[in-house]
Amino acid sequence: MDLAYTPEQQAFRAEVRAWMEAHVPKEPLVTLECKEGFDHHVAWERTLASGNWGMVTWPEQFGGRGLDLIQWLIFEEEYFRAGGPNRANQNGIFLLGPTIMEFGTEEQKARFLPPMARGEVIWAQAWSEPGAGSDMAAIQSKAVRDGDHYVITGQKTWSSRAAFADWGFGIFRTDPESKRHKGLTFILFDLNSPGITRRPIRQLHGDTGFAELFFDEVRVPVENCLAGEGEGWNVAMATAGFERGLMLRSPGRFQATAKRLVELYRAHEAEASPAAREAVVQAWGAAQAYAYNTYAVASKIMAGGKIGAEASLNKIFWSELDRAMHRTAMQLLGAHAELKRFGNGQINQWLEGYIFSLSGPIYAGSNEVQRNIIAERLLGLPRVGAG
Amino acid sequence: MNFRFSDDQLTLAESVRDYLAGTHGPEVLRRLDAEGNRDPAIWQGLVDMGLTGLCVPEEQGGLGMGLLEAALIAAECGRACLAEPLVDTAFVAVPWLVSKGETAELAAIAAGTRKVALPHVLNPWVADGEGKPLQSVDPLRNLVRFPATGSTDDHLLNLGALMSAAQLLGLADAMLNQAVEYAKIRTQFGQPVGAFQGLKHQLSSCAVAVEFAKPVVWRAAQALQDGASSAPLHVSHAKLAATDAAIQTAEVAIQVHGAMGYTYEVDLHFWMKRAWALAGAWGDRSYHYKRVDAAVLGGSQPIGPEHTFA
Ligand SMILES: Cc1cc2nc3c(=O)[nH]c(=O)nc-3n(C[C@H](O)[C@H](O)[C@H](O)COP(=O)(O)OP(=O)(O)OC[C@H]3O[C@@H](n4cnc5c(N)ncnc54)[C@H](O)[C@@H]3O)c2cc1C
Repeated sequence: MDLAYTPEQQAFRAEVRAWMEAHVPKEPLVTLECKEGFDHHVAWERTLASGNWGMVTWPEQFGGRGLDLIQWLIFEEEYFRAGGPNRANQNGIFLLGPTIMEFGTEEQKARFLPPMARGEVIWAQAWSEPGAGSDMAAIQSKAVRDGDHYVITGQKTWSSRAAFADWGFGIFRTDPESKRHKGLTFILFDLNSPGITRRPIRQLHGDTGFAELFFDEVRVPVENCLAGEGEGWNVAMATAGFERGLMLRSPGRFQATAKRLVELYRAHEAEASPAAREAVVQAWGAAQAYAYNTYAVASKIMAGGKIGAEASLNKIFWSELDRAMHRTAMQLLGAHAELKRFGNGQINQWLEGYIFSLSGPIYAGSNEVQRNIIAERLLGLPRVGAG
Repeated sequence: MNFRFSDDQLTLAESVRDYLAGTHGPEVLRRLDAEGNRDPAIWQGLVDMGLTGLCVPEEQGGLGMGLLEAALIAAECGRACLAEPLVDTAFVAVPWLVSKGETAELAAIAAGTRKVALPHVLNPWVADGEGKPLQSVDPLRNLVRFPATGSTDDHLLNLGALMSAAQLLGLADAMLNQAVEYAKIRTQFGQPVGAFQGLKHQLSSCAVAVEFAKPVVWRAAQALQDGASSAPLHVSHAKLAATDAAIQTAEVAIQVHGAMGYTYEVDLHFWMKRAWALAGAWGDRSYHYKRVDAAVLGGSQPIGPEHTFA
């Protein structure tokens, strides 16, 4: 164990810091969940790419810098220190990218990864269906093989940023006789393909951050299938592992929130309750614990280790921490908590953040499902219905 | 930067774990409880493994290891609910004596002929010291009220708190494991109670709490080993995180056991009571909370994403 950064790592931090200070927008961007904000965030993705910061861990040939996970953590820390915006392409770079890296052909990697890293193609994840949320194996949308195409018919829903994004990745039933986890295939598709109708869905905050997708005989070339027909479930499980695991929610994000919470507390110290004070201190501690754990996992992976069901521990921890921090902020704000903008015109980011934090325990596999996974796969308790 | 134990460290911890699992199971705790709490043969076994000399410098006949190894092994002592005063003597007193340059007793400690219980003002009593006996809820803890006042030394307090935190991790792991094993074999309504989500989710929450307390304790051990100025904060953070995880796990574990958990017959109570005792030892929750509060809200500790290891 060595908890000091090398001179090279320190130099790298300084390089990221200088770039971020020069480029991160001074004012927070309008929320990513509406068209205007989405466009600003996409523009930011391209600015990032201009500095070659799109996805620092990827190999250079795919638009990355070939950096290791400790450098990635340093990058993320500096990104959030500078107040870097949410990543419009998070479902591309953090979920689909690593999946293509693992399962894609060389052609698919060359075709999809560089434009993703450059922020030119923004991706939406289209897995959930009205009848298949937690129970993803209940997917019904079909992809029927017709020569060198699949013909997709069905419906996907709650697809984040699908109202505005360029491409989607989904799982479809390619074997009509199949049930549950079998006969599913992972397919990438252009959201502007003929036959796709997007219906934006207003979220809790009122903006259309996700969308419903209707597929009416949408033709997709077979080369857009990832890892072969019928492999969809296995591929999706790998993607879900990336989603819950290391990358989607790096610690810097929560450490930055904890820091802002401390500042908010100081501004409200006179009227704050002792319980709120303790919650603020706990927030710092939990955000730090999450950071240490991420460094530990990164170190383990760099030494050749793997993470599996442990990713579920992570997902519960960060999502419940995020909700707790924002709940505390709402308490500290008191009567001001309900204002969408404060008297000085500033957006109430705590309110936006609180609303968003309520979705953390739902998306990426609900926390109840994560607790089932921990109980059954890590602790070895009997499966539901065992008797 | 590398947040990982070396293979040697992990092998060492594993060998202690295996040794204690083989020689210090629940039946031994019951025997000790019935027959007077301490057994020279157990102590001698620890001495033979070199554990009393773990942190004693090589010149005095020890292994010359640091606080990271000591904390790892303290966690194993917690897992086994070890009652012998190994942690207080070898992982608290020894590093403290070494830090003060007091080497006179080290060889005897390494050889296992000398046990040391250092009193600190924050602890109104010590285990395995000399003085008027007191009864702890932990049946295997030999408490005494010592005659003189204790030390006010912060480093001693930090060592004691760190090693308590490490033991609490092992205790929590063991309690979680006991509860899981019980939930697999106890059947009601025609199925193992561990198949019920009401229990599964509580146990999973314990797993989350314990998992995220661990790196906080290791980080504190490294900070104290390095003599970092922020070490007291990290030790207090570790004590808080480990205490909260252990107390939560103890409460869930007894619930999972049902009425069996409320008996003296089920093993769980030894671990649970040790956790209660260590939660208050070497600075209780309020004490350590206040130290973290003062550093974080008082502004002495730099905070934010770029200060993960400040
Ligand atoms: C902000 C947001 C963004 C999203 N983005 C996307 C996206 O980009 N792409 C996409 O495909 N999907 C997306 N989703 C959908 C998300 O994946 C689903 O919401 C999630 O899988 C849960 O499914 P559900 O909403 O149908 O809830 P349900 O499955 O209906 O669950 C309802 C409740 O029942 C509980 N429950 C369900 N099964 C169990 C069980 N076995 N044991 C115990 N409790 C259970 C759940 O935990 C929950 O509390 C998003 C959701 C949100 C909120």
